[in-house]
Amino acid sequence: MMGNGKNELMGPLVTGYKSYILIGVLLLVSLPLILAYSTLIITSFANTIVSNPWVKFNFTFDNWIAFFRGELSTTHARIYSTGEILRMIGNTIIVAAGVTAVVLGGSATSAYAYSRMKYRWRKGSLKLLLLLHAFPGVALIVGVYTIYYYTLVKYIPPQSRTLYSFFFVILARASLEIPMSIWILKGFFDRVPWELEWSVLIDGGSRWTAFRHAVLPLVKPGIAAVAIFAFLAGWEDLIYVMIFLPPNQKTLATFIEGQLASGSLETSYLPIMAAAGTLYLLPTILFFIFTQRLLLETMSGGLKG
Amino acid sequence: MTTRTLAALLLLAAFIAAPLAAPLTVKAQTVPDLTGNWEQDVIAIGQWLQSNGISTVHYTVQAAGDPNSVMRMYGIVEAAYRINQVWQQNGINVQIQVDTNWESSFQKQYDNFVTQYELGQNGDFFVNSYIYIATLAADGRLLDITQWVQAYWNNVFSDFYTPLMEAAKYQGKYYGIPQDTEARPLYIRKDVAQCMGWDLTGLDEKVKNGQFTWADVFQKAKEAVEKGCADYGLIHRKGSAHPDLIQFIFAFGGSLYDPNTGKLVVDREAVYKWLATEAAFADAGLLPRNIMDWDWATQIHPTIVGEKKSAGGTGNTLFDIGGTWYWTEWQTKDYYLDPQTGQKRPLTPEEVKNKFYYTLFPAGEQGKQPVTLSQPFMWMIAANAGKDNPNFDNPDFKKAYQELAFLMVVEASDPIINAVHSVISAHVPVRKAASALLKNETFINQLRNLQLPFSKEVMDAIAPIIQKTADPINIEFLANVSYMLEYTHLAPSHPYYSKLADVFKQAVDRVLKGQMTPEQAIQFIESSVNADPDLSGNVEFTGSVPTGWSLLPTTQTTTTGTETGTSPTTTTTTTAEGGNTALIIGVIVIIIIIIAAYMAVRGKGQA
Repeated sequence: MMGNGKNELMGPLVTGYKSYILIGVLLLVSLPLILAYSTLIITSFANTIVSNPWVKFNFTFDNWIAFFRGELSTTHARIYSTGEILRMIGNTIIVAAGVTAVVLGGSATSAYAYSRMKYRWRKGSLKLLLLLHAFPGVALIVGVYTIYYYTLVKYIPPQSRTLYSFFFVILARASLEIPMSIWILKGFFDRVPWELEWSVLIDGGSRWTAFRHAVLPLVKPGIAAVAIFAFLAGWEDLIYVMIFLPPNQKTLATFIEGQLASGSLETSYLPIMAAAGTLYLLPTILFFIFTQRLLLETMSGGLKG
Repeated sequence: MTTRTLAALLLLAAFIAAPLAAPLTVKAQTVPDLTGNWEQDVIAIGQWLQSNGISTVHYTVQAAGDPNSVMRMYGIVEAAYRINQVWQQNGINVQIQVDTNWESSFQKQYDNFVTQYELGQNGDFFVNSYIYIATLAADGRLLDITQWVQAYWNNVFSDFYTPLMEAAKYQGKYYGIPQDTEARPLYIRKDVAQCMGWDLTGLDEKVKNGQFTWADVFQKAKEAVEKGCADYGLIHRKGSAHPDLIQFIFAFGGSLYDPNTGKLVVDREAVYKWLATEAAFADAGLLPRNIMDWDWATQIHPTIVGEKKSAGGTGNTLFDIGGTWYWTEWQTKDYYLDPQTGQKRPLTPEEVKNKFYYTLFPAGEQGKQPVTLSQPFMWMIAANAGKDNPNFDNPDFKKAYQELAFLMVVEASDPIINAVHSVISAHVPVRKAASALLKNETFINQLRNLQLPFSKEVMDAIAPIIQKTADPINIEFLANVSYMLEYTHLAPSHPYYSKLADVFKQAVDRVLKGQMTPEQAIQFIESSVNADPDLSGNVEFTGSVPTGWSLLPTTQTTTTGTETGTSPTTTTTTTAEGGNTALIIGVIVIIIIIIAAYMAVRGKGQA
C-alpha cells in the first residue's frame, strides 16, 4: 500500500531526454549552493581563495595545520593555542550534546503523554506548542536575557558563572527545539499499537516500564531524527552562545563569526577561515549523508496528528 | 571526656580551621601604595597577597585587532611572566595567571566588553581604541588610574608622546595608557611619478613646510591620469574608515571638539573645503565616484599597489591616503596582481620600498599646516578588575588586585615590548625610548635573531611574525615616520563622535556620487545633526560656508570638469551596467528552462 501511495504521489516516471532536462534544471538551480560549498571546501585545501573555477591553486594542508595551531594570518600570528582551539570545538560539542539531551528528555516524555494520556487542555496545549515553535529565538532574546541577568547576578557565585552560562545556553536553546520535537515524536508514538503497552501493564509493569521497554524501542527512528535536529540546532547556534557564553568560551560558530564580522574581514586570512568553516560544516554534511532515509521517514510518516 | 581529650580536640579543630580561615582574614597590615619604583611595588604587593593567603591571582585580557597585533594580548601575558619571575626570585609564592580573549574586530570586542561587564564576565584588561575611553569612563566601567600614573610619571610616562597621553584622559583623569598608534601618510607611487617625469626628491620637506598643498596634489593627480601613467589620481578608504578623511578638517585649519564646552564641533568652513576637494577629484575623474562602496581587499588595495589596467593589472593610482600599517599589509596579503604570472601575490619589502614614497597629509591650502591623525590603542583596566579572585568584595583585596593590574600595564609598556609590537604590527611606538630602539642596530639584530628577553610562551607565539616582518626596510620605515606624531591630531574622545563621523561619511558618499553639492552636503549635515537627539545637544556649529572658494582657480576647475567623459569613473559605471544586464539575461534563461522542463514533464504525464 505504501508503495502504491508513493507512486500515486510522485506521478509517472520521467524518462528519456526529458529526464536529462529535469536533471539539468535541478543542477542549474542547485548551482549557487554547490558553488558555495565547493568553494569553501576547496579553499580550505588551497594556498589561495578559490573564488572561481579559473583560479590556479596548489593543494595544501597548511590551512588546517594553521587553524589547529591557532595561527590565523599569513604571518602565522598565533592568536590561540591548540588547546584553546580544541576547547572551542569541545564547547561546541558540549552545547550541541547538551541541547540534544535536554530536547530528547523533554520531548520524548511529553510526546508520550500527548499520545497516550487524556487530560484537560491536551488539544489546546498541543496547538499552543505549534505557536511556540513559530516564535523565532531572536524575538525572545530580551526576555531570556532578563532571566539570565537576574539569575546570574543574584544567585550564582562568580566562580560558578561559566558553568551556569553553559547550563543556561543549553536550556534556553533546547526550549526552542522542544515544541517541534514533541510534534515529531507524537507522530511516532501514535503509530505504536496500544496492545504492546497493555501487555506490559497487565503483566504488572508500570507506565514507565511500558514507556521505557515497550514503546521507546519502537520509536528509535523518531528519537534519532529528533536527536539529529537537536544536535544540529545546538551545533549551529550563534545568537545564544554569543550572548550568554563568556567571551573566553567560544564555540566554532562565535569564533568564525568573530573572524568574519564587520570590521574583521579586512584582516582575516580566508583560506584558514575556510578550514574552520569546513570543520564546522562537517557534522551537518555527515548527518545528512548517513541519515537521509531517516529524515525522509520523519517527514513523511512521523507527523501524524 | 577528660580535659586532655577536650584540649586535643580543640587543638585539632584549630589546626583544621586555621588554613581554611586564613584567606578570609585580612591582616592588620595595609595594602601598600604605589611608589613609582616598579620592582619595589611588585614585591610589596606580592608580599601582601602572600601574607593574606593568596597563592594565585587570575586576570583576563580582552584585546582586538589584526592578527599581527597580538602583543596587545601577549604584552599582558609577558608582564605577568615577569612579575612571577620577580616574586619567585624574592621567595614570594604567588603566581599570576592570565586568560586571553581576542577578536579581530575592535568594535565587536567593545560590544563584548560592554555586554559582559553587566554580567561580571568581562576582561580585567581591555585593550582597544582610545575612542571608547569617554563612553566607558562616563559609564563607570573603567578604573581611574590618575594617582598611579602620577606616581610613575617621572620613571615611565614622561617618556610617552604628549598628545597620546592626553588621549588617555577623560574629564582630566587618566583611564588608559597608550599601547600603540599610527600615522596616516599620503603614499605616492614612485613608478607613476617617474612615468610623468616628477622628481619626488625633497617633497616630504615641502609638505612639512606647507608648500605642497592639496591644490598641488590635485594638479599632479590630474597630470598622472592625463599622461596615461595612472588609472586614478587618488584612492582612499571607504566609509568605515572615516579617520583617514577627517584629516581634511584639520588640514583646512578646522577642529572637531571644543574643550571649553565639551561639545563636538562642525566647522562649516573646513568641512565645506573638505567636501569641495573630494568633489573636485571625483568631478575630474581622478577619484572613483563609488569609492565609499569599494571593497577593501579586492578593489582598494589592489588598485593602490597594482599595475595599470591596460598593462594587465588591477588599476593603479598616483596618490593614496593610507595608514602606516599598509606598509606590511602589502607584504602579507595577496593584493598585487602580477601581470607576468596572472596571479595575485604579496609584495616584497624591496618592492614596497621601490613603489612608495610617503609624506605627511599635506596642508589643505596655502598658509595651513600638514597633519596626520592617530587613533591610539590603549591599555585600559576595567573598574571591576580582579573580580575573579578571592575576597574581591573586601576593599583591601580589591585595591591590591587593581594596583597589581596597573603594575602589569606598566610592564606591558616596556620599551622593548612596545618596539617589538611596532615592528611586527607596523604601528608607530608610543614612547620615545621605543622609537630610539628602532634605530638601534643591536636591538634590531637581537630582534631578527629572536634573542629577546621574552617568555617561551610569548616568543613561540610571535617568532613566526617576527621572521616575516622584521625586515630592515620595514624597521627603517617605522623609524622614518615616527616624526609624524609631532603633527598628529586625534579624533575627539567623545561618546557621540562616532555618530557624527557617520553623518560625515554619508555626506562624503553623496557628494562623490554627485547626489549633492558641497553646499547641500553641509545643509544635510546640519539637518542630520539637528534631527538626532543625541547629536543635537552635543554638537555646535562654527564658521560659515565660504563663498566662491575653489580648490583651484575657477578656470582650471571648469577645464578639468570637461574631461570627466573620458574618466575611469565612466568605465566603472559601464562595467556595473554590463554586470546587471548579464544577471537579468541569466535569470530570464533560467526561468525559460524551468518553464520548458515543466511543460515537457506535464506533457509526458498527460500522454
